[in-house]
Amino acid sequence: MLAERLEIDPATITPDTKLESLGADSLSVIELIFDLEDEFGVKMGDERPTLVVVQDIADIVDGLVANKPQN
Amino acid sequence: MERVVITGMGAISALGQGAGVNFQAALNGNSGIGLLQHPYAEQVTCGVAAQILTPLPELIPKAEAALFDRVSLLALAAANEAFAQSGLNIDSEQATRSSVFWGTGMGGAQTLEAGYEDLFVKGKRRVRPMTVVASMNNAAAAQIALKIGFGGAVTTYSSACVSSAQAIGEAFRAIRHGYAERAIAGGSEALLTYAVLSAWDALRVIANTDTAHPERSCKPFSKNRNGLVLGEGAAAIVLESLSSAQARGATILAELVGYGTSNDATHITKPDPAGQARAMQMALSEAQLPLSGIGYINAHGAATVAGDVAETASIKAVFGEHAKSIMVSSTKAVHGHTLGAAGALEFVISVQALRADAVPPTAFLDDPDPECDLDYVALQARHHQQLRAVMSNSFAFGGSNVALIAKKFDA
Repeated sequence: MLAERLEIDPATITPDTKLESLGADSLSVIELIFDLEDEFGVKMGDERPTLVVVQDIADIVDGLVANKPQN
Repeated sequence: MERVVITGMGAISALGQGAGVNFQAALNGNSGIGLLQHPYAEQVTCGVAAQILTPLPELIPKAEAALFDRVSLLALAAANEAFAQSGLNIDSEQATRSSVFWGTGMGGAQTLEAGYEDLFVKGKRRVRPMTVVASMNNAAAAQIALKIGFGGAVTTYSSACVSSAQAIGEAFRAIRHGYAERAIAGGSEALLTYAVLSAWDALRVIANTDTAHPERSCKPFSKNRNGLVLGEGAAAIVLESLSSAQARGATILAELVGYGTSNDATHITKPDPAGQARAMQMALSEAQLPLSGIGYINAHGAATVAGDVAETASIKAVFGEHAKSIMVSSTKAVHGHTLGAAGALEFVISVQALRADAVPPTAFLDDPDPECDLDYVALQARHHQQLRAVMSNSFAFGGSNVALIAKKFDA
């Protein structure tokens, strides 16, 4: 999703890659959060999560998916 | 006061991409109008439009796509072309004296409408995060400033169908009075959305489809005209103070010598020849040209029943006995009514007519309205003219009128 949005080769992305180094600014992070919420059916809340490296995205989504109410 | 010259031009419309392409199509009377291609085409009465059906040039990285409504993409296409032609290469100090004056009727309406569709139709409970940034009326102007690096005044004019003509005129004044050294001026419009098409339908000013020849549906000054054809597009010019253009050895395309603007202040939609005449007179007086100096008028000529008669009357009121010797044509017959972009698009066509000494025709005018009795350059272009100056008229709902005059550059 990140690779597609920022038009970069997925192979260049590792868990430690800084989002900033991929060309993601504050606006593209907001777009990304929106799409992640849609994709995983989660809500990241009003406090914008601190996303610095790619692993941060995975962690926060994993956490939210794990705690997702089952229905 | 500074003299103001044109050093770059750009355009994109249903006629194609590029100022030259647009002029050639207008000259040949090749229509960009066709049957409306739209997901909601069946639901709207409007059957034809002047659409850009080819993919737009790829001017931005995909990562920025969410920031751009179609109106801003069209704007960039025209502005980039004009800027490239100007050959400008400015430093950071000059950037602060460089402005953008842009016109648009409804800005990023398509983005806003997509947001409404998400909420009201698709039952979503939120809209895309960049809805504000992409749909705001100044988005196109701001993106041009950002991409080209112009850090002076960046302003947006939204006065319906004179928006971009007014933007050009105001840019002219800003340079003339020394508030800027150069400006990208023009406008863009992309309003072929379900809701906007429906709104125009409801007002009953849209042309009926010529079923045998959809491309001939817009018939300015014809007896059988019955309304306008909506179009989309953008056009831009680079304006510079003469001293700035000369200092860098720029190629000067023409001089902008007159701008007039007025409001009818009589009716919200019904045009008033007196108001139109005031705009033309103001432009003429500023241009310091005799009435015989204007060889060609690109008319507003939207092909509405009332509008074309009113404009005929206002041209007669201003030019008197000279009116019948002036070539007047409406190129809307081929590029449709591009609303907020119309003034700029038609000015770009007019300046090329001036430079080429060739006047584009009013296409499809084979059945003239006796009430419209000027020389409307019916059907065929006129080549080998000797044009000294040209005027481009734009009139709008809300009563606003604009006339712009360009003259061959004479040092």
